[in-house]
Amino acid sequence: MIHLLDITKEFPPKTLALQNINLHIEPGEFVSIVGLSGSGKTTIVRLLIAEITSTKGQLVIGGWDITKIKSNQIPCLRRQIGVVFQDFKLIHKKTVFENVAFALQVAGSPTSRIKTIVPQVLDIVDLKDKAYRYPAQLSGGEKQRVAIARALIHRPKVLLADEPTGNLDALNSKGIIDLLLKINEFGTTVVLVTHDKDIVNSLKKRVVTLDGGRISQDQRVGKYLI
Amino acid sequence: MFALQSFGRNIWLSIATIFIIFLAFVSINFLVLINGISQSAIAAVQDKVDISVYIKTDVSESKIMEMKNHLSSMAEIKNIVYKSPELNLKEFQERHASDEKIQETLKELNNNPLGATLIVKAKELTDYPNVLKSLDNPAYSDLIEEKNFEDHSAAIDRINTIADNVKRGCLAVSIMFAIIAILIVFNTVRIAIFTHQNEIAIMKLVGAGNWFVRSPFIIESVLTGVIGCAIALALVYPLVSFVQPQLSSFFGDMNFNLISYFNANLIKIIGFELLGIIVVNIISSSLAIGKYLNV
Repeated sequence: MIHLLDITKEFPPKTLALQNINLHIEPGEFVSIVGLSGSGKTTIVRLLIAEITSTKGQLVIGGWDITKIKSNQIPCLRRQIGVVFQDFKLIHKKTVFENVAFALQVAGSPTSRIKTIVPQVLDIVDLKDKAYRYPAQLSGGEKQRVAIARALIHRPKVLLADEPTGNLDALNSKGIIDLLLKINEFGTTVVLVTHDKDIVNSLKKRVVTLDGGRISQDQRVGKYLI
Repeated sequence: MFALQSFGRNIWLSIATIFIIFLAFVSINFLVLINGISQSAIAAVQDKVDISVYIKTDVSESKIMEMKNHLSSMAEIKNIVYKSPELNLKEFQERHASDEKIQETLKELNNNPLGATLIVKAKELTDYPNVLKSLDNPAYSDLIEEKNFEDHSAAIDRINTIADNVKRGCLAVSIMFAIIAILIVFNTVRIAIFTHQNEIAIMKLVGAGNWFVRSPFIIESVLTGVIGCAIALALVYPLVSFVQPQLSSFFGDMNFNLISYFNANLIKIIGFELLGIIVVNIISSSLAIGKYLNV
């Protein structure tokens, strides 16, 4: 599903964020990418959504080589990858429904389709009753659920979660992780980027550990030991 | 929809932009009207230019008509008016009705001292030299007592000079306002981009295409431009109607009508102005988007 082949990313002047990364993620996998701050976790996420391009190497997602992706192809890529961030990235002047619907509007979906699909997705994340609330009226966990719903709206094959529990308490964090696991059960490949040791160790899933821009460990059923 | 939302959310900025565009169009419309006034003034003076050919008193009417017909066949001739000796005498008497000496002299004369006159008008001012040359034709020069070419070219040149200077001034003001309008539009779009940075980042994150991101800004800037242009036209037209009576009395018998000029060119004026502001705003906002939006 996702193949990073000898990926190196250098930020000027001469800061190596990633060095010779070789990482293969199969369809339907749940992979946690862990490491200390500055180890290159977020850089991998930014490469996967083509926010930046690699200095060397090849990046293939779902059979599509996006190493030298053109700027007019990036919107198409991003509609196939769901992304969730630590700071939720919700539009405060839009309701929950509108925030999720927005992802379909930008793709030109008709209103009838939006009215059908959005409630279904909100149901998956257990927010159907709060469709017409504004982000300010939601808890941190609920905001993150909205972000996940928006990420799922295009039925992506890959869901990237970059520190999704970074701003949440333990209870809400568990709720979000449970939701990600549920999404993974439906067949979506989930890549969880986190430095939360407890979460990673409770998952008993594959763990890829980054250290100084390199993969120091890659365990099928791993633990975050740093 | 996003464009209208942004227009409403930044209403004061939108009003300021509209106002600058409005000022630019008021000055442009003023330039158009000055052009109309100067064209009409020049045409009115041009109409007064003619050649008066005074025929000798002993020339028969048939000969005069022959000469008239020959001159009429020239491509340069617009029209020729024949004034009989009797008509000339009558007009002379009316012109000098208060001059007793002239009236007495005319009474003492047994015959009409005045001959016929041909008033020759050419199509263009530049045609008069050719017409004058043709009157030197020996076939007709013997018939002619005198030629009088009322040359208003000096007056026309003066009107042209004044009109050109006024047009240059208006053009300079218009260009200045147009530049200010472009900069204001550029800045308005830039501010709108900054205001919506969060929203734009999310748009791009969820896979919005470039045009989905750009188009609200372009549409908003076109909207402000069209509104500014429409307000300027809506103000100038009634103003022209208000000023028309004063202009008519000023220009006297020149039969000058600014409203008619405006109406005759209305489609062109509105069309060019709207097209111009739409093109300018699209270019200006596209430059701002390209510079600050990275799409």
